[in-house]
Amino acid sequence: MQKNLEFWKRFCRNKGAVVGLLIIVAVILMAIFAPLLYPDSPWKLVQRPFIPPMELDGYWFGTDTLGRDIGAGLVHGARVSLLVGLTSTVVALLIGVTLGAFAGYYGGLVDDGVMRFTELFQTVPNFALAIVLVAIMQPSVESVILAIGIVSWPPVARLVRGEFLSLRSREFVQASMVLGQSNARIILTQILPNTLSPVIVMTSLMVATAILLESALSFLGLGDPDVMSWGYMIGAARTVLRQAWWMSFFPGVMILLTVLALNLVGEGLNDAMNPRLARKSR
Amino acid sequence: MGKLSFIARRLVKGVFVLLAIVILNFLLIRLAPGDPAQVMAGEAGAADQEFIQQLQEKFGLNQPLHEQLFIYLKGVLTLDLGWSYRQDEAVATLIFERLPATLLLTGTAFCFALTFGVLLGALAAARVGRWTDSLITVLALVCYATPLFWVALMSILLFSVYLGWLPGFGMFSVGAGYTGLEFVLDVLRHLILPALTLGLFYMAVYTRMTRASMLEVMEMDYVKTARAKGLAPGRITRMHVLRNALLPVITLAGIQAGQMVGGAVLTETVFAWPGIGRLMFDALLQRDYNLLLGVFLVSSAVVVLFNLVTDLVYTFVDPRIEVS
Amino acid sequence: MAFNRSLKAAAFASVATLAFVAGPALAEEPKQGGTANVVIQPEPPSLNLGMVQNAPTQMVAGNIFESLLKYDTNLDPVPNLATEWEVNEDGTVYTFHLKEGVKWHDGEDFTAEDVIFSMDEMLRETNPRLRVNLDHVEKMEALDDYTVRFTLKQPFGPFLGLFEVGTVPMWPAHIYQGTNYQETADDNDPIGTGPFKFEEWDRGSYIHLVANEDYHVEGQPYLDEIYWHVIPDAASRAVAYENGEVDVLPGGSIENFDVPRLAEMDNTCMTTKGWEYFAPLAWMWLNNREGPLADKRVRQAIMYAIDNEFAQEVVWNNQGRVATGPVNSVTRFYTDDVTDYSYNPDKAEELLDEAGYDGEEISLLPLPYGETWQRWAEAVQQNLEEVGINVDMEATDVGGWNQRLNEWDFDMAFTYLYQYGDPALGVTRNYISSNIEKGSPWNNVAGYENERVDELAEQGAVAFPDEKRAEIYKEMQQILVEDVPVAWLLELEFPTIYRCDVKNLVTTAIGVNDGFGDAWLDR
Repeated sequence: MQKNLEFWKRFCRNKGAVVGLLIIVAVILMAIFAPLLYPDSPWKLVQRPFIPPMELDGYWFGTDTLGRDIGAGLVHGARVSLLVGLTSTVVALLIGVTLGAFAGYYGGLVDDGVMRFTELFQTVPNFALAIVLVAIMQPSVESVILAIGIVSWPPVARLVRGEFLSLRSREFVQASMVLGQSNARIILTQILPNTLSPVIVMTSLMVATAILLESALSFLGLGDPDVMSWGYMIGAARTVLRQAWWMSFFPGVMILLTVLALNLVGEGLNDAMNPRLARKSR
Repeated sequence: MGKLSFIARRLVKGVFVLLAIVILNFLLIRLAPGDPAQVMAGEAGAADQEFIQQLQEKFGLNQPLHEQLFIYLKGVLTLDLGWSYRQDEAVATLIFERLPATLLLTGTAFCFALTFGVLLGALAAARVGRWTDSLITVLALVCYATPLFWVALMSILLFSVYLGWLPGFGMFSVGAGYTGLEFVLDVLRHLILPALTLGLFYMAVYTRMTRASMLEVMEMDYVKTARAKGLAPGRITRMHVLRNALLPVITLAGIQAGQMVGGAVLTETVFAWPGIGRLMFDALLQRDYNLLLGVFLVSSAVVVLFNLVTDLVYTFVDPRIEVS
Repeated sequence: MAFNRSLKAAAFASVATLAFVAGPALAEEPKQGGTANVVIQPEPPSLNLGMVQNAPTQMVAGNIFESLLKYDTNLDPVPNLATEWEVNEDGTVYTFHLKEGVKWHDGEDFTAEDVIFSMDEMLRETNPRLRVNLDHVEKMEALDDYTVRFTLKQPFGPFLGLFEVGTVPMWPAHIYQGTNYQETADDNDPIGTGPFKFEEWDRGSYIHLVANEDYHVEGQPYLDEIYWHVIPDAASRAVAYENGEVDVLPGGSIENFDVPRLAEMDNTCMTTKGWEYFAPLAWMWLNNREGPLADKRVRQAIMYAIDNEFAQEVVWNNQGRVATGPVNSVTRFYTDDVTDYSYNPDKAEELLDEAGYDGEEISLLPLPYGETWQRWAEAVQQNLEEVGINVDMEATDVGGWNQRLNEWDFDMAFTYLYQYGDPALGVTRNYISSNIEKGSPWNNVAGYENERVDELAEQGAVAFPDEKRAEIYKEMQQILVEDVPVAWLLELEFPTIYRCDVKNLVTTAIGVNDGFGDAWLDR
């Protein structure tokens, strides 16, 4: 309890992190209350096409090529962008941290085996692999999440493995080994906590990357066609960039804000977990 | 001697990785609905079972899967990447025609990203907490958070359409008949926008990575010791901090050099850059199996090479890692 | 020959600011020289028109190869490699007199032997669409070096409409006869008789054609060379035109939303002509086999529920016309005397109630050809959901789309097909029961069966003369429109955008596909 309080105190000392957290909370609330804010489906053709923002009451964000409300799209899009971003990152972390820890800690054959496996995934350009996976599984929210998760874990594995490799030869780990602590205990209590901060920094980046990957897939026509996402909106706006800047501008801003917020929060967490560093940098 | 055998062993491993990739991709791609015979029959505007079978026979698609795989592997081992039926050309020819363009694009983007990424990251870390740091951090965040293709289109709009400074597509002015230095300059002018667009994202990644990593290392005991010993701060940064902080950056850079080929799909599409990224995407949509496998294989080979180099650099930078 | 054809004035889009050019300006004397920069999208797989029939190949190679005839924008045949032709009284024997002194690009003479080789040997094997039509031909013979006679089994109304360059390109027998041309034609060095010769192909960048100095039409070609630029992104193609890097945007090269903006530029002309032969018609396949769509009333409800005018105005930016049935109104034997399915959501709901539709999910497969088609599918999905149809949009790519249609794995699927100027060539194939066969996205994919339609389609192809065919096809159209085997959407138009000083570009029914021989630059 006391520890939690300390953590929060340190987290809140980073103003950027607090702002980030507020934005995230706002986006999450938006996603939850989307049906109340905009009861109609974001796909519904509600007005004439290409209404610029602030021109017509009730359509503050303008309308798109077919006369759909951009505002509705933004609010409903928060749901799937967050869902895809978070879920696929969890998938990637589960795979990546596990494999990376094993490889880096045990070294030798285990390391070889895992790293060869990682290299398989890593050596194929991951964006292309994501497209192939989505194409095979048919584009849908699930296949997009899975594909992004599957292509995103190798950096985590390599990072964690690199940290393990480097930390393993450190004195404090060597000492624990000499003292005869179990491997699991050393991994979980000695090494893993020390790798957390780069992993956390990476996680926040990964959620962002996942959101960007999803938009890139939609850009190429491989998103879930039944779900309105920010990525889809930018993809659809691309051909009319000159005529309707607002169509890509607003979803772009949403992505930017969300990604920015995620990063700020990540940094706040980093500060809160690495008190020495945090004190130094303030 | 130790280093040489290390390299040799990594090379052998690399070959096995590539082989595994080929088999994995071979099976994966065939799981996708549709095959090249159907696509080509469809494109002909008229198709019937007979025509599709005719094509399937021609492409060898009517043989059992394991035999197709065997034939393909046999070809690969003799450096024959097969025939692209859709493009009606040898896969190797198609790829090596396009590879230089992609290498130029990704190479430039990579150098730009790494140089500026490390510089900005180091600068931010050195000035941590000050406005320079904040500015760089925000800049990196914005670059990181903006979709690649959006930046690409915006830069075309701004620099090509409105300002008219730079060409917006292609690799050189077709029909201009430039030779020698003129041609090189022409290509460079065409290169700027796509390379910057592609590089911005990665620059942001390296900036963040370098900064985070340097801050981490600065807190390490040996740095503190060095400081306590009264070594000059500049020397500490160069000798201890940067050297150690670059470890994760190198790991990441080695990985991303190859991943950039994937990122090049979008850049090459928007800028009409005649590279293998685009070749790969078209091959994918049209189920041009041999071509797709070939592109995967070649780009994977490039990555294996990069990984090898990364490992080597790693051993030089961090002597604690044994070469065994 | 007065074809039963109605060219509507409405064919010309209603955007007042657009400049239209009506036909060739004959008064002007063509100037020699110059380079045409043209967009080609996507990059063709090959220029061997005899082996590959996809659209980009036709567009480039149509200027390298030639056929016996050309077609004007009214679909009337005009001489090309054949200078004259005769038909016997009962329409079963066609005799073509070939132009003398025509040379292949390698200097050899073009003769009747080439015609027989191309049509009787090569294309029969390589062009499945032509193969079906050549079944009507009993024998082809070369009477002498410059006369070819086709004897048909029975009259085949559209026979004279076959000789378009993309359908029946002439191939050099002296190169390919006796070889395994599947293999020998793999190189990209096409030898034709056309106004332009192949020079260079830098894959991923451009295809370079140069003028054929020995072309058989006096004075032609006027242009020195053509560059076909491969630019894979629609926005980049628009920019390339704006920057002046290309002069011609063939139909469909840019997004519809960019058309008005580019058309307003200085020295810019636009025409919707040059697509009459293809007359593309868009519709939605409805899987007639099972589920709610097996019920005619549900299919009719879908017709009433779709707001095609909205799609024409908004999705297609005022290009094209609302389709009234299976035959494009610029194609021969079109009739508008059919059931009218103007937008009527109330009627649609009534019909759904009547049919007892219970909200079962119906899947919709868009055409994976870019943003416009995706937007269109989304609009139609909204139309259908508004009347209570539960639509599940699916995503797919080119490979997946082909496979799912080939395997009949769909409920509703967008498509568009060419009509090739005649119902017997490009319409009946989609509705006759003998054409229900897996493995093609272009046959009777919907699985519609109607004996009377089968009969009429068969009679229509062989009836003689045209008045009789018109009568038969009218009845066929009326039955089809009543039955709604597929949901017809729009008659598509793909405007060609070009600099006004590129003269005489679109003079035939296939437009830029064979247009560069006549074209010249007023610069």
